[in-house]
Amino acid sequence: MTTARAELRKLLTLPSLRRTALLTWAANLLLTFAYAAAESRGEPLGDDPALAPLGYTQAGFLVLGVLAAVSEYQEGDQIRTTLLAMPRRLPLQAVKALALAALTLPVAAATAATSSLPAGGAAWLPAATAYLTLTTLLGAAVAGVVRRAVPAVVLLLFVYVIAGPVLRARFGASAAYLPDTAAVDPSRGAAATITWTLAALTLAALTFGRRDA
Amino acid sequence: MVSLVRAELRKLLGLPTAWVGLVLGTLLAPVVVLLNAPYTRRAIAAGTLTDTSDLGLRDLGIGLIGPMVLGVIVVSSEYTSTGKDAPGARQLTATLTAVPDRLRLLAAKTTALVLVVAAQASVTAVVTLTLTQVLHGEHVPAPALTRVAAAVLYWTLTALLAYAIALITRNGIVPLTLLIINSSVVSVSYLLTKVTDLAAYLPDIVGARMFIRGADFPVAIAPVTAGLVMTAWVVALLAVGAVLFQRRDV
Repeated sequence: MTTARAELRKLLTLPSLRRTALLTWAANLLLTFAYAAAESRGEPLGDDPALAPLGYTQAGFLVLGVLAAVSEYQEGDQIRTTLLAMPRRLPLQAVKALALAALTLPVAAATAATSSLPAGGAAWLPAATAYLTLTTLLGAAVAGVVRRAVPAVVLLLFVYVIAGPVLRARFGASAAYLPDTAAVDPSRGAAATITWTLAALTLAALTFGRRDA
Repeated sequence: MVSLVRAELRKLLGLPTAWVGLVLGTLLAPVVVLLNAPYTRRAIAAGTLTDTSDLGLRDLGIGLIGPMVLGVIVVSSEYTSTGKDAPGARQLTATLTAVPDRLRLLAAKTTALVLVVAAQASVTAVVTLTLTQVLHGEHVPAPALTRVAAAVLYWTLTALLAYAIALITRNGIVPLTLLIINSSVVSVSYLLTKVTDLAAYLPDIVGARMFIRGADFPVAIAPVTAGLVMTAWVVALLAVGAVLFQRRDV
């Protein structure tokens, strides 16, 4: 319990996380407005306006996860202090994931609500919130393995923004196996998102358990 | 100056992330042309794809992640801490000790970046367009040399744009996230052109008009004007970045 409180406090006091969350939410608001404006001009942008903005703002959640995980490895190498206080690595990793999920959940809910409620997609709200939270955890897991912010962001954004859409457009069957399909089609991609996130978390926990700090 | 540029080139090419950008950026466009080949053939045969003059050139856009990564890490690598045991130490301190004149340093950095990105863009453009000719040669006219040069210029300006934003933010994540999201299949700038026609003058949208002719566009802009507008964006942001770099503490 103390560990959970400590981890939460560490996350809450990171200015970069606050800024990322705020920027993500603001960007989502702008995009929702753009979709609504296009709709009212009679030239809708093609996708479901309740979910489409989230396809872009999920990048903010990936970054949120990356920054949360990488903060331990940045200058000063906080991870050594953390491990001194909490030497059992696997429970620590689990608590870290739970703390990040608890922190992300309200941000994800607020962001998802911003775009799905005005577009009349309230039914998507729980699914979108869960998706954004899982995406954050996946980002944190990948960054926990990579341990550096910029390479982790490049890798994640490449998969989510470039490779994912290209694969879905050319090989329709691949959509069910990609981690980001749920952003555009929750009913189809949910299983893949959950599987990818759990796999990434397991990999991160295993490497964290075995690797030098 | 030559030795400065050589040093900056060596620093840039010594970064593992730079190689990720180089490899991804160079391979993506040709791979997409290959993947799209059966679909494009069918579309040409069925007559749904009538304007084939942009084919190949349009596919180059997907590789832009390469110049973006290169432009950002030229700056961000100077600001990340150098090692676990010296948390406050940044490469920039060593760089400025060697080259105290900050504007000269920026000039050398810019030159090194332009050289690397222009080389990458030329290779990518030649490979992608040759591949398009081999695959669909009978339907696609070989693009004029000026259009290929404009595409290389677009890549270089995009790298400089990323570099300028990184100079202003002094951090790699913000510009990378913004720019990569904006290079997605349906870019945010493109969405904005649906809201206001002014968005047609955003750098990434206007720059593409230098070499793409497709009609899907709200405002008619001539290629040379488009190049000038994008260059103006880059010059303005670079000027802000240079002033900040000159005046801020390390």
